[in-house]
Amino acid sequence: MNLERYRIVFATGSLVLMFIVAAPSIGLYVSFPRGEPFSEFWILGSNHLAEDYPFNIRVNETYSVFVGVGNHMGVSSLYLIYVKFRNQTQPLPDVTTSQPSPLAPLHEFRAFVANDAAWETLLAFRISEVSHYDNSVVLRRMSINDAVLEVNASATWNLAHKGFYFQLFLELWRLDEMSQSFQYHGRFVGIWLNVTSF
Amino acid sequence: MMLLVFASTLFVSFAFAEVGEREASSSLDNAERGVISAYKATLKAEEAGANVSGLLNRLNEAEALLAHARIAYRSGGFDEVVRYASLCTEIGERVKIDADELWGRAYGSRSMDFWLAMAGSVLGIFVVGLGSFLSWRRFKRRYLKRILRMKPEVSSDES
Repeated sequence: MNLERYRIVFATGSLVLMFIVAAPSIGLYVSFPRGEPFSEFWILGSNHLAEDYPFNIRVNETYSVFVGVGNHMGVSSLYLIYVKFRNQTQPLPDVTTSQPSPLAPLHEFRAFVANDAAWETLLAFRISEVSHYDNSVVLRRMSINDAVLEVNASATWNLAHKGFYFQLFLELWRLDEMSQSFQYHGRFVGIWLNVTSF
Repeated sequence: MMLLVFASTLFVSFAFAEVGEREASSSLDNAERGVISAYKATLKAEEAGANVSGLLNRLNEAEALLAHARIAYRSGGFDEVVRYASLCTEIGERVKIDADELWGRAYGSRSMDFWLAMAGSVLGIFVVGLGSFLSWRRFKRRYLKRILRMKPEVSSDES
């Protein structure tokens, strides 16, 4: 090896060493790619498991489920959970366009969740007033966590599945930093309720 | 006359109810704004590298009070709304103060870390540069000496 080649080896070695020494400062400016940010949203039965969800509902009986949110957005987030109620013909949120259901919310929860942390609350509901007609049921009033709410949702008899079906569903919204308003976060969960025992 | 007295009582009670609702609504709005403002200060502190989980827990407490206030507002319990909202506003203000303080501390420690890292890197680069230069000079001298020590061999051509 001649002297010129030795010079190149020395220069390269020095540059590599300089780069290693400067790495802590470079790390302050270079942001490394992290995983895709997302939020978890769940509903669990009263035993904290994905089973034993309330289904056959009696009037004036209290049922409970757990609702939870997991934040993996990279920053702390303020979530808004809308509780909505519908029959089989009313619209759910649109999964393809990521639009929320146009139905008015009955109730809401708000939660501040730290990054990589979860938040959970009990949702206890009771249907307190129902009107029954020949082929339909009108659910007039229900309570969610002690808040009494006017519902006025009706369902006709479902011949195939033999019941009056309603769905209690929850939409996840998140406070957007840029617009300073809550935006639908494209997540919803729900449970079907069969109101047959009056 | 009796009718007039009755009507005036009714008017006064309606007027008070109106003021109560307006007051309740404005205190609810204030409390909501206070919580959002405290949340923004918390996010700023988090961005500066502070641990904000304690602040978020307190904001959730404030939010629980706000939820009670909203339910009371819907059922017309305006006194309760004002009570819950003022408690919530108080928590929001304290969280904002603490978040600003945390931000100051985190920002200070972050800029200290930054200058330490910069100084360390600059010093490190200088030491490596100087070390490499000196080593290279020494190596070059030895290399040339070795080359010069080599005696050329003269081979005779007998043809």
